[in-house]
Amino acid sequence: MSEHATLLLSNARRSYNGRVAVSDASLSLSAGRITALLGPSGSGKSTILRMIAGLEPLDDGTLHAGDALLADQHSSVPPEHRDIGLVFQDYALFPHLTVADNVAFGLKGSKKDRRAQALEWLAHVKLADRADSWPHMLSGGEQQRVALVRALARKPRAILLDEPFSGLDRHLKSEVRRSLIDTLRASGTAVLIVTHDAEEALMMADDLVLMDKGVILQSGSPQDCYQHPSSIAAARLLGEAEVLKALIKDGIATTVFGSVPCDLADGEGWLMTRPESIHASPACEGAKVTAIAFGGTFSELTLEKDGQSLRLRTPFTALKIGDVASVRFDEATTSVYADVNG
Amino acid sequence: MHVLGWAAAVVALLPLLGVVFAALQPGRADIAFKDIARYATTSGVVALGVAIVTGVVGTLAAWLVALHRFPMRGVFAWALALPLAVPAFALAYSYSQIFDVGGLFRMWLRPAMGFDIPLQMRSIPGAIFVLSCAFYPYVFLAMRAAFVSQSVHPVEAARMLGCSVGEAFRRTALPLARPALAAGIALAVMETLADYGAVQFLSVQTLTTGVVRAWSVYGSPASAARFALPLLVTAAALFALERWGRQGRRFETTRGQQRTLEPVALSGLKAWGATLFCLLILTLGLLLPVGYLLWRSLEVTPDWARLWTATGRTLSMGLIGAAATVALATLLALGARHMPVVTRIASLGYATPGAVMAIGLLGPATVLWTIAPSTISGAGVSVALLVYAYAARLMAAALEPIEAGLSKVTPAMGFAARSLGHGEFSTAARIQLPIAKGALLTAGLIVFVDVLKELPATLILRPFDFDTLAVLASNYALDERLAQAGWPSLLIIGLALPGVIWLTRQVTKTGRARTTKE
Repeated sequence: MSEHATLLLSNARRSYNGRVAVSDASLSLSAGRITALLGPSGSGKSTILRMIAGLEPLDDGTLHAGDALLADQHSSVPPEHRDIGLVFQDYALFPHLTVADNVAFGLKGSKKDRRAQALEWLAHVKLADRADSWPHMLSGGEQQRVALVRALARKPRAILLDEPFSGLDRHLKSEVRRSLIDTLRASGTAVLIVTHDAEEALMMADDLVLMDKGVILQSGSPQDCYQHPSSIAAARLLGEAEVLKALIKDGIATTVFGSVPCDLADGEGWLMTRPESIHASPACEGAKVTAIAFGGTFSELTLEKDGQSLRLRTPFTALKIGDVASVRFDEATTSVYADVNG
Repeated sequence: MHVLGWAAAVVALLPLLGVVFAALQPGRADIAFKDIARYATTSGVVALGVAIVTGVVGTLAAWLVALHRFPMRGVFAWALALPLAVPAFALAYSYSQIFDVGGLFRMWLRPAMGFDIPLQMRSIPGAIFVLSCAFYPYVFLAMRAAFVSQSVHPVEAARMLGCSVGEAFRRTALPLARPALAAGIALAVMETLADYGAVQFLSVQTLTTGVVRAWSVYGSPASAARFALPLLVTAAALFALERWGRQGRRFETTRGQQRTLEPVALSGLKAWGATLFCLLILTLGLLLPVGYLLWRSLEVTPDWARLWTATGRTLSMGLIGAAATVALATLLALGARHMPVVTRIASLGYATPGAVMAIGLLGPATVLWTIAPSTISGAGVSVALLVYAYAARLMAAALEPIEAGLSKVTPAMGFAARSLGHGEFSTAARIQLPIAKGALLTAGLIVFVDVLKELPATLILRPFDFDTLAVLASNYALDERLAQAGWPSLLIIGLALPGVIWLTRQVTKTGRARTTKE
């Protein structure tokens, strides 16, 4: 993938007053592909976005666009010359310009020409009729579309989106997401979406990059990252994880609740699985059901055995509090690690 | 941009360094330390008096207007700030005549009441009265803003804990407004210390009169600078106090955004009492003295030629001064957005009296004259220095609304413009400045009004025979031609009033106020 990369960030490092925000981060963006950078707040993902945009210098490492060097520790091409679009979390529409003027802001050519282009772009996102409105007259989703076409209109080599859905109501998100993805795909540009929302990242990305505490934990396809997280920390980023102490012997990891095959050497280890990858069925001996919470589309059961507890989610259960159940793990979505930090 | 910000800061700082430098030079007419101490004591007493009177009057008026309903409250909300259009020296001319032994008031009092009160305007209490009339609006505006923006929650909590309405106000709302009070009083005291025209006319010898006299009588910048040094130190302290007060106020407003204090409707005697109180203040600060000046002025025929020349000069100095100051303050605001130290340094000149600023500029001016005596006309240099003095002194007053206006431009908007292919200067011209347009106008107006009223710096730095309206008024007053002095004073008020009305209407309309210089 990286041979064809539009943008290549290599071994980037950035610290503020001795506190490391990003260390040794590498990632690549390719034309026509959507990359999601997922991490909790303070993980350094926004710093990476700002480094690529040119709003933040690199303490170490390089940023290349094709063969051209955009930034290293000594030099930095100013943001206006990077040919990279950026959609801000709060959209940053210019309040003193109309919607059409906002979109035309970064375009070159005669006034008439720029307006014509702006209108064309607005038509793409079904906002041609709002061209002469002021930004504050638009809804959140509409503002986001304006911000998006404002960045896309310059046909940048890459476009960066900072938490694109954080300002939107929950019920709007899926609709907005679909139209955003369609527009981005149609543009054929390289896309980086920075988000803290795992579901959002999994649903939108072609390539997923997981990040925590300034370090990139894992890169790969969403399925791969979800099913085979490289560490427990990476697993936790993508959704709720149940972690159990395990004893590994002869390729089998055994916990108090059950066992799965693994290819680690004998010794102690940790089993990670998802609440929905755990199945419980009535049995004569096993774990005891201590709590059941009804969550609408699923029920959440808490099981206990030998002082350890386990949560699982299931669409339907015949079990009641006090029942005894046997537990089985989905092997496809269960991983075993030698180290709890690994 | 950063470089320009620093440059603007240096421009503002240079005259202050000039004062310190001049004070270290040996002077011809050496001023004894005890003279400085005497002048400083007078300044201190006047400042203290003004602080107390403006503090009480300004707070009371603000409390009434902000938190009560009574007849004409809407008018008072902005009209009580109008004395800002009246130069303090005009009030001094007016009141010294009204309360003179042979003046209207006492001529009436003696036969009507059968007694006389030995009112003496040319005294320290007289100066405190006059300056309080001129400067109470600073406290009024600061306190009004504090009350209007205050959250209702502490007051409600106090009432739930058993306090009456009045007690709750006294124990919560008032202490919460204390930073605003400090800021308002600091401004009133700064102006008191900077005043030359009024105290000079009332024969009260303060440090500022000392500065001007040491310069004009002894011709000694070194001696003048020695009078100026304590003023400079006090100014810095007051400035720090004012900033501290403002920070507190900002903190309150951010917390109290949901619901603010609801005005209480007054009825009957209380309502009319409130109206009368506000009317009394407005009468003392504006209606009576200005009405009297007008009445006396109409008795004489003014020297129209001199008056028009002075009006033209005053207007052009006001416009040039406003343009130069706003330009510098804008550079500073854009260049030093995230360098608070730089803006703080540049703002130091704000509290510095004009006379001190002028003395500080004499040093660099002398250097300039020595280097190039023939190339630049003396008058041109003088006017340039005068504009410089205005800009250095008023930079902070202009900076504040400009910064507030620029704060509407989020960092993301600037970055967005950059990522859309615009450089730093193009972004400033196409995003920041258009958005802050209104704020630039406000800043310009604030400076314009202040330049109209400015006297001491103009007296020291002006070219020979270059009379502004303030200088003209002062000259007439020194010759005891007070009816003639009324004309230029009234013209200043006439020119300043529309601006002040616009500014105060703006402030009171939104409910949130800048404490400086409206």
